[in-house]
Amino acid sequence: MSAGATLAMRKITKRFPGVLANDRVDFYAQHGEIHALLGENGAGKSTLMNILTGLYWPDEGEISIRGEVVNFRAPRDAVLQGVGMVHQHFRLVRSFTVAENITLGMRQEGFWWRPQVVEQKIATLAATYGMAVEPKAKIWQLSVGEQQRVEIMKMLYRGAQILILDEPTAVLTPQEVKELFRNLRQLAESGKTVIFITHKLHEVMAYADRITVLRNGRSVAVREKAETSIKELAHLMVGRELSPEISKPPNTNQQEILRLEGVCALNDRGLPSLRNVSLTVTKGEIIAFAGVAGNGQRELAEVVTGLRPITTGRFWLHGQDVTSCSARQLIDAGVGHIPEDRKGMGLVPNMAIMENAILKSYRDRSVCPGYWLDHKAIRQRAEQLVTAFGVKTATLDSPVRLMSGGNLQKLLLAREVSAGPDLIIAVYPVRGLDVAATEYIHQLLVEQRNQGTSILLVSEDLDEIFKLADRVAVIFEGQIMGILPIKQANLDEVGLMMAGARASEVALG
Amino acid sequence: MANVKGLNLKLVAVVVVLALAIVVTVMVRQAQQPDPVDVTTPLKVGFVFVGSIGDAGWTFAHNQARLQIENDLPWVETLFVESVPPGADFERVVREMIQQGATVIFGTSFGYMDFMVNLAQQYPNVKFMHATGFKTAPNLSTYFGRVEDPRFLAGMVAGLTTKTNRLGYVAAHPIPEVILGLNAFTLGARLVNPAATVQVVWTNVWFDPAKEREAAISLLDAGADVIGQHQDSPAVQQAAQERGAFGTGNNSDMRFMAPRATLTGPVWNWFPFYKTVLESVRAGTWTSTQHRWAMPDIVDLGPFNDALVPKPVQERVLAKRQEIIDDKFFVFTGPLKDQAGTVRVPAGTRMPVADMLSINWLVEGVIGTLPAR
Amino acid sequence: MGSKEGTFGGWVFRWEKRLTSSSQINVAIPFISIGLALLVGGLVILFLGFNPLSVYRSMFAHAFFSRFGLMDTAVKAIPLMLAGLGVALAFRMLLWNIGAEGQIYMGAYAASGVALSMPGAPAYIVLPVMLLAGMAAGAFWALLAGIPRAYFGANETIITLLLNYIAVFWVDHLVFGPWRDPGSLGFPITRAFSSAARLPSIAGTRIHLGLAIALALALLLYFILYHSRWGYEVRVIGESPGAARYAGMDIRRNIILVMLISGALAGIAGMTEISAIHGRLQPGFSPGYGYTAIIVASLAQMHPGYVVLVSFLLAGLLVGGFSMQIAGLPLAVVSMLQGAILFFLLGSSIFARYRLTVRRKELV
Repeated sequence: MSAGATLAMRKITKRFPGVLANDRVDFYAQHGEIHALLGENGAGKSTLMNILTGLYWPDEGEISIRGEVVNFRAPRDAVLQGVGMVHQHFRLVRSFTVAENITLGMRQEGFWWRPQVVEQKIATLAATYGMAVEPKAKIWQLSVGEQQRVEIMKMLYRGAQILILDEPTAVLTPQEVKELFRNLRQLAESGKTVIFITHKLHEVMAYADRITVLRNGRSVAVREKAETSIKELAHLMVGRELSPEISKPPNTNQQEILRLEGVCALNDRGLPSLRNVSLTVTKGEIIAFAGVAGNGQRELAEVVTGLRPITTGRFWLHGQDVTSCSARQLIDAGVGHIPEDRKGMGLVPNMAIMENAILKSYRDRSVCPGYWLDHKAIRQRAEQLVTAFGVKTATLDSPVRLMSGGNLQKLLLAREVSAGPDLIIAVYPVRGLDVAATEYIHQLLVEQRNQGTSILLVSEDLDEIFKLADRVAVIFEGQIMGILPIKQANLDEVGLMMAGARASEVALG
Repeated sequence: MANVKGLNLKLVAVVVVLALAIVVTVMVRQAQQPDPVDVTTPLKVGFVFVGSIGDAGWTFAHNQARLQIENDLPWVETLFVESVPPGADFERVVREMIQQGATVIFGTSFGYMDFMVNLAQQYPNVKFMHATGFKTAPNLSTYFGRVEDPRFLAGMVAGLTTKTNRLGYVAAHPIPEVILGLNAFTLGARLVNPAATVQVVWTNVWFDPAKEREAAISLLDAGADVIGQHQDSPAVQQAAQERGAFGTGNNSDMRFMAPRATLTGPVWNWFPFYKTVLESVRAGTWTSTQHRWAMPDIVDLGPFNDALVPKPVQERVLAKRQEIIDDKFFVFTGPLKDQAGTVRVPAGTRMPVADMLSINWLVEGVIGTLPAR
Repeated sequence: MGSKEGTFGGWVFRWEKRLTSSSQINVAIPFISIGLALLVGGLVILFLGFNPLSVYRSMFAHAFFSRFGLMDTAVKAIPLMLAGLGVALAFRMLLWNIGAEGQIYMGAYAASGVALSMPGAPAYIVLPVMLLAGMAAGAFWALLAGIPRAYFGANETIITLLLNYIAVFWVDHLVFGPWRDPGSLGFPITRAFSSAARLPSIAGTRIHLGLAIALALALLLYFILYHSRWGYEVRVIGESPGAARYAGMDIRRNIILVMLISGALAGIAGMTEISAIHGRLQPGFSPGYGYTAIIVASLAQMHPGYVVLVSFLLAGLLVGGFSMQIAGLPLAVVSMLQGAILFFLLGSSIFARYRLTVRRKELV
């Protein structure tokens, strides 16, 4: 079957210093299919696709498209051969129009900007593939799903026959995911090859025709969807069975830990980002904030951890007014924080594991008895964290930036949990982690909950929310659309609220 | 694609280290070989210059003399370093010159003074010559020239050239040497043109073409049509040329930099002095002295710009030059009045040299004040 | 994903970003780049008709391989080291204090003020007071930029730069005006300090006590940075302001403290230079030490230990430059060679972040 493949990558090997990212990987894709490239983080999916799009050179192996061997020296070469990639983080100029973004950087368009011609062409493409895009709209006016559509259109405009999407669903609401795959199906039916990179098993089963599984830099299996199951794919991807459901005894404690009343705050650009947020968190519960990224979740986490001032409203911890407390005071009051940006906030990438282990506790007498740090005690502390939480590392002295995402997050969690907090703010705690690490982190959070720690979980993965949370609060444009006990919530309902519908409206509708 | 190959940093490192090792080995080997000692040791003389040699100005003039020494005095060998700031750098450069066998050191900046005093103490067998300074030791002399005389002559040329009777003067630091020169220029101009006034602008810097240019332009804007300068670069001359005005240069012949503006200017001619000093060292008759030579040997009025200065003017100025050389005329002869009209030097008397070397007042006809007192 | 490529003959060269940068590479970089600079410089020297080997010999043999030269190098290294430590500390916290020159001038000004007003005091009184005054003045000058930065987010780069000019003019004003030595016949210098106010030299050498002060401070700074609670805060803030805020560190207070110490170190450089070398205040006593200190700090990757090494290296380079002139090399060539070495040193960090791949061009 490889002979007739639209795209064939044979025996692709790519080495980085100390890492074998791709090891003789074979990958074939046909026109007219939606092909999932499945694998955990670090399995080599992105490296393989970066080779396909000309960003990297393979050390060994060859690529052929429609039977012809190609040799991409730069991304432009790949584009000319009809290979287009939609990255996870969009590459759009926010103040430009859709049409301007689509033609940005194209040499073929000539020197003069002729909006009518371009807009006409976009409209034709949009009609052909059933994708609604407004060429005159500015990017900043579009929703995330629409922006993604612009990215796809950008590739189609350049004549892409092979379309690659890197984790395309990470930023979408469930409704937007459906819309995306409806569009992708139409593209496939018109004869294009659609490849999407993912580690989400249910997505693969719902939308892919064929699946190539990568593990540790090798292609371990190719499956037709009809012939496989979630269970088999999980096994192929992780290399072992997944552990069963997490046990979560019901929480009956009603003791109030955190209470917010009418909290408003501004974002970094000085615009209102939290509007009149009120809620109560009780002891030993996980309350999840569902919402599309950028709807005030980050600001909420920063407010509760003392990193962002409140414009109006107050909040209480253990019944005490802590509205004007500093980050330092809130840390001392028992608020743990697993920030969204691990490397930019939660950890110091260029500093050693040892030094990162005391980021929150460096003032404690135990590690700093006087003015000087007690390096022996710090090493002990770090060693405890590493062993107790299974952080994989050769030495405590290497900078944390060399650690994998899962290990980073384990270290971060280990540090926050070991301080014995009453409240943990966990923002996207498993984003970008592999299945094994995700499982471990989930387990850990639930254990903490079971021991009586309250957890404020910010997540955009509804599976995660339904798995972990006791209650779900949906946030949209800085407002809470509704708070539901998880047992009374269903996926569609939460999805609609994430798109801006009130709980009451959803219930009525 | 087996020909794809990462050029390992290690490889680069090994190559570079090897190359470096070879270079260092050769260097050390060469360094270990003793320098051949010449039996007929010539007199080694070190020159330390504060500025860069360039093609005009103070350091240029000194270097011209050095080149002539190399050429004319076969028994002398010179070492020189340019752009040496006063301080540890100066001491080090001199020490290294002495290590290389220099027995006479010329330091050409006032800022070297204290360091030359120290060095003279440390190296009693070396003769030190300090230009513009005032401290001496048994093996340290100072030397300078009566540059106020050619400045007076330049002032005469300016006074005879001006149409507006407004002269300008770009001055460096408000120190006696500069004040004396400004006063001489003014006296010269007013001797031939009693209506002339000289407006002064201080730059507080010896060499800074940008600042000098700005100062010149401010004077031109104020209506001056001939500008004198006590600065080291030709920027003033060039600014004058751009505006169709005239100027008198400084330190070395600057006519070639502004051929349509520079009339003439005081120039240094150090060679006769250097030759005399070196001959005295060779003869063993050198003694510590405060040299203050006069025209025509160490300092003189530079050549006229024949296209701009008419013959009668040249003749009149040259006649005055001869009078000065013959000591028939002394620039600072009373009556001399300061800006307030007070008589500072009574009629018929010559101003004592000590007073001239510490002068801190401006003569009548100068417009402007001393910036700090 | 930064990658650039170029072709040469039948080969394609391409920079690829390294995923990791190993510490061996970081250590090797300065040596590799000096080697490259010497090779390139050697070619230029050859082209100009000089023998590169003898030029390099006169450059390094004196500065590093002779007793006198080593002393000279050490003397020159002292102000670079002190100011370099200050700059390194500030840069460490991402405070772009390029005002070391001004802080040196203010330190020298205050120390001179003390020396001139206490002509009869014994050395054990006047020298410590001069040192403290120099520190205080340097610190004050740096705070003029540090406080606006801490409270209003003002740009410390521009403020420190402008303060440099003010400091130089202030010293000019003093030596041309109120502090001018009446016996100097109007030349812009102050009276000479009493011999008690001159920093003594270390037994039998020309190296003055400033070297001991600088080395002690480098050691102290190293211990503070890597072994104290406050040093930990400084490093975290410098590496990641976000993480520092997250950990509840008081960034504002630390900006002020770091600027204060940074300025004080430069102030000490001014004090030692004026006390040991010049013995009086005069304009232009620092030939840009404060600016060279910025190069020292960058090359040393803001590490106090490397500051010591690099300041010796750069001092040797400057000392060697004069030696090369005595050997007959034109000033322009000397400056070019010094520039080439600095260029390679500063540019060399590219090797830490990228690797060069080469492959034969193929016809598609």
